[in-house]
Amino acid sequence: CHLPAGSVWCVGLVCVPPQVSWIRDCPIQYEKVGADVTMKCGSMDWDAAVTWTVNGTDINESLLNGSYLILKNVNLSQSGQYACYEGSSWHLKYQTYLRVGMPPKEPVLMCRSNNYPKGFYCSWHLPTPTYIPNTFNISVIHGTKDMVCERDAIPKNRCHIRYLQLFSTVKYKVTLTVTNALGRNSTTLTFDEFAIVKPDPPESVVAKPVPNNPRRLEVSWQNPSSWPDPESFPLKFFLRYRPLILDQWQHVELSDGTSHTITDAYAGKEYIIQVAAKDNDIGTWSDWSVAVHAHPWTEEPKHLNHGETTSASTSSFMAPPTTKICDKGAVVGSGAVAVCWTAGLVVAAYSVLFI
Amino acid sequence: MAAADSPSAALRRRDLCSRGIRLAGKMRVDVIDLLDAYVERQGLDVSSLDSSVAAVEGVPLAAVERWDEQTGTQRLLENLAAYRAFRALLAQMLEEQREQLGEADAGLGRALASVLLQVSAFTYHLEELLRLESRGEGEEEEDRPAPPPRLSIFEQKLRGLGVLRELAQWAVRSARDLRQLSKPSPATGTAAGLAESP
Repeated sequence: CHLPAGSVWCVGLVCVPPQVSWIRDCPIQYEKVGADVTMKCGSMDWDAAVTWTVNGTDINESLLNGSYLILKNVNLSQSGQYACYEGSSWHLKYQTYLRVGMPPKEPVLMCRSNNYPKGFYCSWHLPTPTYIPNTFNISVIHGTKDMVCERDAIPKNRCHIRYLQLFSTVKYKVTLTVTNALGRNSTTLTFDEFAIVKPDPPESVVAKPVPNNPRRLEVSWQNPSSWPDPESFPLKFFLRYRPLILDQWQHVELSDGTSHTITDAYAGKEYIIQVAAKDNDIGTWSDWSVAVHAHPWTEEPKHLNHGETTSASTSSFMAPPTTKICDKGAVVGSGAVAVCWTAGLVVAAYSVLFI
Repeated sequence: MAAADSPSAALRRRDLCSRGIRLAGKMRVDVIDLLDAYVERQGLDVSSLDSSVAAVEGVPLAAVERWDEQTGTQRLLENLAAYRAFRALLAQMLEEQREQLGEADAGLGRALASVLLQVSAFTYHLEELLRLESRGEGEEEEDRPAPPPRLSIFEQKLRGLGVLRELAQWAVRSARDLRQLSKPSPATGTAAGLAESP
């Protein structure tokens, strides 16, 4: 399997060296989707009798021009192993892997510090697939200093930079260049140290009813575990909550502590609650935490017998779990639903809730 | 250990630190507002000036390497030196502002004066904190720096921009420095950093 030295590929009247790399001594020929491709059968003359195959299947002679194989307007399905044999002897005269793809478009690059003041990371992706291998090269410059961006093993499209300086007004310039056999493209981000600070969302958000307080919910959470020094770099928080049946969120901004008591909840309604975090002075708000659901405390209906009940619905018309019936004061996690196991009647069927 | 270890000194230090943190926070908010107003009133195109403003002579840089390894005294001394310099620079800016605009832009002048006042108050806080250390280091204000050379009006504007940008950055750093200082030391219950000073 070989490629004749000095061979060129011609499209119409224009002849260009082919985009070729090699796999197991066989050339890989890269072509852009929509290109016209001409393959020569090694050193065979134009008028020699030859047979072309793709992935072992004979190619219709209508695609030949003499001994040349002509593929017009190639598409992705035409990628494969092409081989050419001498007509009488069936000697293999030429073989290549054709890979049809696209040059890379401008890559999408994002840099963010979720562990300030340790460092930041940059991640990237291509807006559309190229169908052929790409290599990414990233350079990070702070003022005039080149910085090392350590690549992750997984995911491969991310690297980490440690801050060498803190509180600097000098901008960071990150350039990502993507290259494949059909072309290259690049994008550059320039930013301030403070601008990319964005913590991860708060963790372990818990919402509890307050006994004997039908309009209160106690919400607590923890700093994101990725935030390394909350004592020196404290976070402030944004809490939003709404009854499940309403679209309108209520918001509270909190600069101290990791808990808050909602005092204006609608009695008996199931609430959805989320928290976001931000460095006290710099950067932007995190994404919202995973939503938690909770009901304010409700008085246990006295007219009901304590029978075995199973309730696993999030419907706001179901009776909210009370701490007594469910023995479950807290509801944790996304879409968590209190499941109450008692004996007897379905409490929900008797409950009518008012706002 | 000096007076820094007595419970009342520790309390006093913690109080000074927490008030200093609040002052720094307010100062940053005001400086950011002032920066916006300054850029607008002076007709500066910030994006085209980034490289020219990067390092203006005489403006103390907030950028620091190995920040987390600094001792308490180091933090206080660097802060103090910076705010003393800012006090002089802001006073100079205020004077130039009055010369250039007279009473035409009193709002900007007032905002500048207010920030200058906050810088002075913050400097006082830092001096108090250093005094608590009773080590005498940096307590005395060094000789006033020589007045900056006469600049063209454009250079004055550029320096003003550099001063405000760097001051905004310092306000963030100072709050973090003071938080480091007010961290209780596990061994003595006193503020971390000060005890480890050389």
